[in-house]
Amino acid sequence: MRFPWNGMETDLKRELAHHLHELTAEYERRGHSREEAVRMAKREFGGSEQVKERCRDEWRWAWMTGIRQDVTFAFRQMRRSPGFAVTAVITLALGIAANVIVFGVLQAMILQPIDVPHGDRVMTLSLTASAFPFIAYPEVRDVRDGATLLSAVAAFSFENLGLETGGVTRPVWGYGVSGQYFELAAIKPFLGRLLERADDDHPGASEAAVLSWPAWKSYFGADPNIVGKTVRINKHPYTIVGVTPEGFYGTEKILLPSIFVPMANEASLGGGDWLEQRQVKNAFSIVRIKDGVTLPQARAELNTIAARIRRQYPAEEEGLGFKLSRPGLVGDTIGGPARAFLAGVMGLAGIVLLAACANLGSLFAARTADRAREIAIRMAIGSSRWRILRQTLVEALVISIAGGVCAFGLSWISLTGLATWHPPFDYPIRFSVLPQPSLILVVLLISVFAGVLCGVTPLRQIFNTDPNDAMKSGGTKHFGGRRWALRDVLLAAQIALCCVTVTAAFVSLRGLGKALTMDLGFKPQNAILTKFDLGQAGYSSEAAGQFQRQLLERVSRLPGVKAAGYANTVPLGGGDFSSTNVFSRQTADFRASNRAFASYLFDVSPGYFAAAGTPLLAGRDVSFADTAKSPAVAVVNREFARRLFHSGGAVGSYFKNRSGLPIRIVGIVADGKYLSISEDPKPAAFYPISQDAITLTTLIVRPWGDAADMAATLRKVVRDLDSSIPIRESSVWNSELAMSFFPTQVATVALGLFGAFGLLLSIAGAFGLASYTVSQRLRELSIRVALGAQAKEILSAALGRMLILLGSGSVVGMVLGVAAGRLLSAIVYQASAQDPFVLASVAFTMVLTGSLSVAGPVRRALHIDPARLLREQ
Amino acid sequence: MNMPGKKTDLIQGTLDLLILKTVAHEPIHGYGIAQRILLTSKEILQVQQGSLYPALHRLQRKGLLTSEWRESGSGPMAKFYSLTASGRKDLQEEKAQWQRYSGAVALVLES
Repeated sequence: MRFPWNGMETDLKRELAHHLHELTAEYERRGHSREEAVRMAKREFGGSEQVKERCRDEWRWAWMTGIRQDVTFAFRQMRRSPGFAVTAVITLALGIAANVIVFGVLQAMILQPIDVPHGDRVMTLSLTASAFPFIAYPEVRDVRDGATLLSAVAAFSFENLGLETGGVTRPVWGYGVSGQYFELAAIKPFLGRLLERADDDHPGASEAAVLSWPAWKSYFGADPNIVGKTVRINKHPYTIVGVTPEGFYGTEKILLPSIFVPMANEASLGGGDWLEQRQVKNAFSIVRIKDGVTLPQARAELNTIAARIRRQYPAEEEGLGFKLSRPGLVGDTIGGPARAFLAGVMGLAGIVLLAACANLGSLFAARTADRAREIAIRMAIGSSRWRILRQTLVEALVISIAGGVCAFGLSWISLTGLATWHPPFDYPIRFSVLPQPSLILVVLLISVFAGVLCGVTPLRQIFNTDPNDAMKSGGTKHFGGRRWALRDVLLAAQIALCCVTVTAAFVSLRGLGKALTMDLGFKPQNAILTKFDLGQAGYSSEAAGQFQRQLLERVSRLPGVKAAGYANTVPLGGGDFSSTNVFSRQTADFRASNRAFASYLFDVSPGYFAAAGTPLLAGRDVSFADTAKSPAVAVVNREFARRLFHSGGAVGSYFKNRSGLPIRIVGIVADGKYLSISEDPKPAAFYPISQDAITLTTLIVRPWGDAADMAATLRKVVRDLDSSIPIRESSVWNSELAMSFFPTQVATVALGLFGAFGLLLSIAGAFGLASYTVSQRLRELSIRVALGAQAKEILSAALGRMLILLGSGSVVGMVLGVAAGRLLSAIVYQASAQDPFVLASVAFTMVLTGSLSVAGPVRRALHIDPARLLREQ
Repeated sequence: MNMPGKKTDLIQGTLDLLILKTVAHEPIHGYGIAQRILLTSKEILQVQQGSLYPALHRLQRKGLLTSEWRESGSGPMAKFYSLTASGRKDLQEEKAQWQRYSGAVALVLES
């Protein structure tokens, strides 16, 4: 190919050939014979290669030719030592892939707007008062009617529906959507049509339902005639009018609805009649801001609307305020922790990459030491040190780009796999982390960075090489009693870094183990919750009390029921309950500041504790004999008793509530978790519901057999008693809780993966260096063997230094890991790096992997045949 | 770097000056330049091709020299260098600077 430098090469050759020709002619003129003249001219001319080299350096294109040469040389080197090349590429690929995957997740979940047209103009509307983005439907309606700067305002709720088709009923997750939802999403249907305002005009206005593309594929076998097909949802007939396009997963990034129905039909679908209730915050809301309107302008308008609503409904809407936030991660609920977690994981990924670079750097340094002789020769014939360094850099870059290419493939597969993976439990969660082409850029950047990092490690070595010395010593260096070289430090650093990741992995594993087996204070396995609010069906408190007792009797008589009870709400239920100030018996002044402590408050029926699986430790359960006319009593948990009396014997003692009423403690139950699984032990008090009647009801039933079948039966019992009661939820307790464990599980998986990466890297690094050390010193070792050294001495000579490095690296890593433990406990609940189990596991793992990685070289060292080796060398 | 020759070594800057001066007379090829310098300096300054050619290429890259391929007296084609306008200007400046420098050294040596 005719590059500019090709022509120059030929020119240069010709120019120098001419010079030589003239020289020869001169010698001939002086009387020498032709051959003699040629010889003498050549000798006088000297090394033409060197001259050419110098000339090339002067050219404008010099650097490009040089690079081309370096690249070719790099490839040749790689072919010559394929083992090294493969190890290096794989090591880098893993390190780079880790970073790229994390970045991919970060980009998809947090940086990108949701996947609808002009997604950056869509925001979640929620209330300032609460952390969760729940909002009341009438409030959404007010915003919709009053806002001029929003082009669409929609609400949706997340429902568990029974979809019946072809005689089979499946529980599916669906969205109840308001009329403007699909307008807001601005998508076109894949088949048929999408729900419109007319469908949501009033309850019962429409029986239309829209399927999501994945649901259409999996439940209906991608039936092309799906439009117009009738199905039953929660026993009501609905017509499928359309299918959303592939790739549309609703407006939250991690939820995966199967079906969309009009929100107005909430009540008939059994979701509960809360559409008109201002105090029931059950809906999510998203809005689309008009083009050209800024966020502050929209916020200002929302404040005006909020002020107006507060004036109109002073009682229910006191303190109302709206806020807008990025959609996709259930408002900020998951957003905040997710961001913190991803930041932490990115840090870990960076550590893994650094470790990989340290690994490779030490390998490069080792190879450079190997090639000391070659480098010396090159420098002697005129190559500059910079030139040699450049060649090493290019070699490092070639390897790291190759690693980057592998990493790209690995990340693409992983991200796609993650996007199509469904968590094992019932919630339809997915990670919309499909990889974007911009990932290539990220991979390239990281690869170059890694390559440069690795390539400059032999810097000092190259610059300190004295050609004379290197050539004289035959290219092999002495090891005995030498100072610690850079490559040793690098190995120790790498071991330390990997140890940190391993520690992190074990800490999170332990934390997860603890979280899963943690005593919640109740047993959610195999219990069914049925939640409803009798106030919504028009009951007063007393009437509610009667209904509840009736219900309990009916349910207790059902076959297969082991225990049943009810309460106003249950622990870890999302916070319908309250807390109250508790005063000691002696208190006379009931100001809040005089309180002994604040305690959670539940109203429970007899049998609640049995049904919930909360052990009664002392005294008695509440009973229906505790009425408004009998003395006030309560059952408290052990923490309550401990805080009030500093001892366990509290049964029979008194405390006072915030109205000054003395309440006798009649029973003590075990402690538990009430608001969140990561809270410290908190006090809780359980009043007899017959003394503190309330319409909000959660029925807990624990059957003998499998709980799954009972939910429908219980719903029927409630309906039979009063069909107008809207049941809010009816499901197995455990599945509702599963979601709260999910983040911890995710964290553990991620940290576990990094730990595994870290281990692999340590093994690779230690193995590489051990092999190298042994092979370098084979000559010396074989002499020792020949002189009669024992195996132990051989090993200590060969690998002594390395084991010291491994050991010290591990210790440093563990110390760092413990220090980082506080950071980890932000991500993984109950994580403590000082747990002896963790420390022991980490130590064991590092020793194990250390042994594994040096096993090969050790065998080689022990089986040296001195005679053969010395002959070969 | 010059290989130690039997004559005096030349510093790079001086070599550039000599080359420019030599080329200023007439277009000339590399061997011819070395010969001319040798002759004119009464065999004191011997320029090795290891320094000559890189210098020529450098001066050409800088735009002080230009080259063309021509028939030389006998045998293969040769690359003839000639001075460009900026080369001519550069020569004047370098020459003035050299005279100033060498005059100063002479003064110090004779004091």
